[in-house]
Amino acid sequence: MQPTSSMKEEFLKKWQMGLQIYRPLIDNTSVSERRKAIKLSADVAMASLRKGTTCWSRALIQKTATEDNFLVRQMLSGIKAETLINKKLPKVMCHRKIVRRSKMILRRRQSRSAIEEVAAKARKLIKKKTQGLRNVVPGGEFMSNDVLLIQETLDYIVSLQTQVNVMRSIVDAAEAGSER
Amino acid sequence: MDLTGAFGARSAAVGACREPPGLESLHLGGGDGGFTALLELPPTQAVELLHFTDPSPSSSQAAVAGIGLDVSPPPPPLHAYGALTFPSNAALMERAARFSVMANEQQNGNVSGETTTTSSVPSNSDRVKTEPGETDSSQRLENNRCGIGKRKELDKKVKGSTKKKSKSSEENEKLPYVHVRARRGQATDSHSLAERARREKINARMKLLQELVPGCDKIQGTALVLDEIINHVQSLQRQVEMLSMRLAAVNPRIDFNLDTLLASENCSLIDGSFNGTAMQLAWPHQVTETEQSFHHRQLQLQQPPQPQQWPYDGLNQPAWGREDDQGHGNEHNSLMAVSENLMVGSASLHPNQVKMEL
Repeated sequence: MQPTSSMKEEFLKKWQMGLQIYRPLIDNTSVSERRKAIKLSADVAMASLRKGTTCWSRALIQKTATEDNFLVRQMLSGIKAETLINKKLPKVMCHRKIVRRSKMILRRRQSRSAIEEVAAKARKLIKKKTQGLRNVVPGGEFMSNDVLLIQETLDYIVSLQTQVNVMRSIVDAAEAGSER
Repeated sequence: MDLTGAFGARSAAVGACREPPGLESLHLGGGDGGFTALLELPPTQAVELLHFTDPSPSSSQAAVAGIGLDVSPPPPPLHAYGALTFPSNAALMERAARFSVMANEQQNGNVSGETTTTSSVPSNSDRVKTEPGETDSSQRLENNRCGIGKRKELDKKVKGSTKKKSKSSEENEKLPYVHVRARRGQATDSHSLAERARREKINARMKLLQELVPGCDKIQGTALVLDEIINHVQSLQRQVEMLSMRLAAVNPRIDFNLDTLLASENCSLIDGSFNGTAMQLAWPHQVTETEQSFHHRQLQLQQPPQPQQWPYDGLNQPAWGREDDQGHGNEHNSLMAVSENLMVGSASLHPNQVKMEL
């Protein structure tokens, strides 16, 4: 699934809208602040494309809201902004030590066939990887099951791809322009 | 959407026998049904999925198409699991009815021609439709169990045909009931059925991910694929950082005003049909704010100037109006100069023409 041109256009429009908000500040800012502004508005634009239907988009919006609440409120049309910012994501509280200890106890009771051991190791490895994936995808910790995680990852990758494509074309244009 | 077309073409190419002609009329029900049918349904998840797949029908359709491409033995969609309380939604029930009917039809279809099953269709649908009134999950389970028992006999005949699988997956998409076929020699209690359905779901999604992430096709094994996916996501995130850094490092006026100018010419640029003409026409010269550069650009135009009104007048005016408020001195003036020149100088692409270039 590749990003479509309509997605790109929408993203661009929303991103521009976000950047407009920063316009009064440009003369006074350093490079890093500008970078932050660009990145934040791009992120919110990307997340708003999904209109709060996906977990990662909500988590991303909440994350940027902690950094720049004003921007988020402006960028999202009124109602959604309030609900998205204030909503608490259902957190899967998982006390790892307790879980690990109980698993160890269970394991001691199980039979130790060779096949099972291998399978158990494979499962552990996969669990580690999925945990890694949760760390990377915004809001991953809140996704309770693997199916949802993979779905969200799919959507997230597509959105990231659009974001990168659009940003890259703008950057190329800007740099080409400034060289003249 | 482009997506469905692409996937449809691909499945047609690869699948060969995949889709019986009757299925082509099957619309994939991008709206409500979404994944829910395809997936086993703990109801909360089903509801989530329903909402999730609503705006991104493309991904669900992709998933379905991707699943349809699967060559392995037919997926075991899980019927309503005993502990489930069925979401009291009439539309879903109807689809469930239709699906269980179709599922029966699948089993019988290959064996005894399709005409005979049509008669069973209305009776089944009636039976299933009366169920929501009772909301008796155990009874539903029994009905489904009987269905499964019958289906098990037809196991062997069904396994070979991929047609059915694609059909079931397509049907599944619309309906909340997902019926599992127990394979030969496999446990058939509900727990392992649920396990199996869940695993199949995950595998289907993983396949989609593999197709999405470049270079994942060759890799065997979930762990490595997950590694690749994580790397890909991290690299994309890093690219975003780099690009935003580059954009910020460029002349400060540009990164914030760039977009307003770009808005008028977004189509051709963004879609990466960034051939030389597009570049020259659209963009870079707008950024430099001197008349010289502007004339320079006009000279470079390879297309005859289009003598029509600036198509995005409405869009540009407010943007530049806003600039008025900000009062950014000379930058503003030069921008206005550029815009006026643009409007007059007919250096614009007609929007239709722009789209045709894509």
